[in-house]
Amino acid sequence: MSSMLRLIQNENMKIYRKGTNRIMLLMLVGLILAAGLILKLNTPSPKPHVNDSWKQALIKENKNLEKEIKKVPKESQSYLKKEIAINQYRIDHHLPPVNGLHIWKFVDLMTNLVMVIAIFTIILAGGSIASEFNSGTIKLLLIRPVSRTAVLFSKYIAALLYAVLMLVVLFIVSWLVGGILFGFNGLTQPYLQYHNGHVTETNMVLYIFKEYGLNGVQLLMYVTLAAMISSVFRNSALAIGLSIFLLMVGPTAVQFLSKYDWVKYVLFANTNLTQYITGTPVVSDMTLGFSIAVLAVYYAAFVLIGWLFFTKRDITA
Amino acid sequence: MEKPAITLENVKKVIGGKTIIHGLTFGIYPGEVFGFLGPNGAGKTTTIRMIVGLMSMTEGNIYIQGHSIKKDFKKAIKNIGAIVENPEMYKFLTGYQNLLHYSRMAGGVSRERISEVIELVGLKDRIHEKVKTYSLGMRQRLGLAQALLHSPSVLILDEPTNGLDPAGIREIRHYIRRLAEKESLAIIVSSHLLSEMELMCDRIGIIQKGQLIDVQTVNDFVQDEKQMSVAFTVDDIDKAVRVAAEQCHFKIVKTKSDGIELQLEKEQIPIVAETLMKNKIKLYGIESTAKTLEDKFLEITGGKEIV
Ligand SMILES: Nc1ncnc2c1ncn2[C@@H]1O[C@H](COP(=O)(O)OP(=O)(O)OP(=O)(O)O)[C@@H](O)[C@H]1O
Ligand SMILES: [Mg+2]
Repeated sequence: MSSMLRLIQNENMKIYRKGTNRIMLLMLVGLILAAGLILKLNTPSPKPHVNDSWKQALIKENKNLEKEIKKVPKESQSYLKKEIAINQYRIDHHLPPVNGLHIWKFVDLMTNLVMVIAIFTIILAGGSIASEFNSGTIKLLLIRPVSRTAVLFSKYIAALLYAVLMLVVLFIVSWLVGGILFGFNGLTQPYLQYHNGHVTETNMVLYIFKEYGLNGVQLLMYVTLAAMISSVFRNSALAIGLSIFLLMVGPTAVQFLSKYDWVKYVLFANTNLTQYITGTPVVSDMTLGFSIAVLAVYYAAFVLIGWLFFTKRDITA
Repeated sequence: MEKPAITLENVKKVIGGKTIIHGLTFGIYPGEVFGFLGPNGAGKTTTIRMIVGLMSMTEGNIYIQGHSIKKDFKKAIKNIGAIVENPEMYKFLTGYQNLLHYSRMAGGVSRERISEVIELVGLKDRIHEKVKTYSLGMRQRLGLAQALLHSPSVLILDEPTNGLDPAGIREIRHYIRRLAEKESLAIIVSSHLLSEMELMCDRIGIIQKGQLIDVQTVNDFVQDEKQMSVAFTVDDIDKAVRVAAEQCHFKIVKTKSDGIELQLEKEQIPIVAETLMKNKIKLYGIESTAKTLEDKFLEITGGKEIV
């Protein structure tokens, strides 16, 4: 075990001593700051509510929505229904909405950057295995009293730790930037969750963590895919390029093909688990359990293939 | 007799249907420097890769201090320090961080040992600089440092003098001799620098087209051929030719502008000198040119043919 820790320590040294990996961390912080400033400059500062005027406004809005719901096609109705239900909940429970952005809304928006973190981690993981082959350092790495399996997993774990660090940075920095730019007074806002026609109040932090968790699963799948390609082809450009390409194109492609039933077994139809919380699943009969099972099978296959190629093949670099 | 530190037993390697190594069998003893000599593409690096477990064997087995590299990789590899082809290190790390990296993988390497090895290879002044700023020779030294870090009993160096200046080559040669003699390491050195091998090795194995075609001690190798050509520098060349032919019955290889050259055995040199002097021929110098390992090597491998 302690030998595994030392291997991870080595990988961390290699990760954080490499300029590109530190630049990616800075870029993440830069992106959050830029997003915050752009949003701040483009949203009018919220006017404070006068008495109960917000209730009147919501009632009016709901009336409009009721009218609209009759005009739109069936598929689009669920979103409007959700809006109406949440507005009604606010009216009933005296929960005035915050006009414009507030700290949690900003943190929630910034969860989109998890995909950027996924891309950064793909770059790191795809590079960390193949670059040892490209540079020839793999020879000196594998003539130590350590199994190839341990070397491979220390690299994989170090890459995931890097992703975790980036997620923590994302949360803390977006919370701080959100608070500083939009005020910390939105902190008490609950998250109103709509599920099967019911609205429930949940803690915002819990909701954000759930978003991170679900997006994190997606990140894990793509990073593992990148690590596998890197191990099989021993080429970082291929591993990084192909993984990012699939990350960009895969989900769109399955949307196009969603009329076929077999699509639900495709990796990209299942990676985005938030489809069960916010949107509708790619194929209508898919469930969260189904997706988790499909992902588990893909994950096991990626790990097995990556491991076989790393441990069984001759080192000719 | 003591047991060999490394034993190769009928080691074969087939890649893509082509046999690259045809059943190598040999052993290397503690305290011995074994030269692995062969033309480009002979299979030196491939053999070394199999010894250190980077490549699998198609057939046969390799034992390091009695442990099979195939079945008992960790126990076997513990005893080996190696450079395979070029000593590629992490360029974005400093020399010291590179050594720290490998020391963590070996376990039980103290900071003192790291400093000791740095001192030994003469990198003390530059060790905290990034490897990308190192010259080829300095990288070679760092390569040697990582190989020695965990005090292995077997050292494998694939072309260790590649890229070193003459002083550096001499220095490495001295380390290698010292490690073998003082610390009883078994050392394999591969090289094309044949004159180097002569000075550094105890035994030399010649490999060609994946086959070990000859293993001899360096002394046997050089003295194998007893006849050598000896040049005598004299004043009167014509007279010397006559005297040598009539009184000594030696074949004159050639006459040179300042003397004659004869094909002789070592014991005959003083006889010829005496005869020349008795005949009042002034003798200015005697120079013998023994057949070098290089001549021998080219003779055995039949020139520079590459597989
Ligand atoms: N991965 C590989 N696939 C196919 N053939 C290979 C592979 N690696 C080596 N060979 C072949 O094996 C033979 C031996 O190569 P090797 O690198 O062991 O030679 P070498 O003696 O180290 O040569 P050099 O003196 O040039 O370093 C060559 O003919 C080479 O083409
Ligand atoms: Mg070679």
